[in-house]
Amino acid sequence: MLVLDCPFCGPRNESEFAYGGPALAPRPADPSAVSDADWVDWLTVPPNPMGEVEERWWHLRGCGAWLTVRRHTVTHAVTEVRLGR
Amino acid sequence: MTGYDVAIESLPMQAVIDLKGEAAALAGWCGDVLPQFPARPNSLTRASGRALLHIGPGHWLLCADLADEDSLIAALRPDAAPPQVSVVPVSDSLAHFAVTGPDAAEVMAVATPLDLHPTVFAEDAASFTEAFGLRALVRRHPGGFALSVDRSFAPMILQALSLSAG
Repeated sequence: MLVLDCPFCGPRNESEFAYGGPALAPRPADPSAVSDADWVDWLTVPPNPMGEVEERWWHLRGCGAWLTVRRHTVTHAVTEVRLGR
Repeated sequence: MTGYDVAIESLPMQAVIDLKGEAAALAGWCGDVLPQFPARPNSLTRASGRALLHIGPGHWLLCADLADEDSLIAALRPDAAPPQVSVVPVSDSLAHFAVTGPDAAEVMAVATPLDLHPTVFAEDAASFTEAFGLRALVRRHPGGFALSVDRSFAPMILQALSLSAG
């Protein structure tokens, strides 16, 4: 069980949140200028390093805010939680 | 097992108005209809039988007796609200319960993972959290706690509270 320190509510159990996917790099401004491989990579391949990732979480059963969480994929240590992107 | 020393009671409907927007914009639109805005997140203020709950970023609930609903709607004019604010009556969306008695905190500990110790959940605290897997609003109530959930889940919550009480 993760405990996420919501900037509005304080520490809350993971069960109050819904996972919202990886915090992706910004969408390419002109997709037609991107190679097919890069476009497919941006659309479908979530980053999965052995280390820190940034994820979006929705405080569904709490304040309703969307958060960006920096989490270590091995230790699950959460080093940053911020409102929005 | 003898069960916990609690009373579980369905509370009557309340007038509930959902308010969204910047506090300054809401204060400008709502005027003196609202109690003073709470200073802290997940807390409430009271005035003239009305309570204003700060439940999320830019999000408040105004709660009052149901008899006050018509006058609140007339004063807040939801249909005429400017685009900077959202004013939506949601009185019929929530069902309210009171869990009171010496063991109220024990039953609430079964219901929700929220830390309800007085040093954490103060007298003026009000927060949405999880209760029996549902989104629920928790407040203090004379002698215990008040729990509000989406009305369609009311029978389930009442049964779950009763089972938890033993």
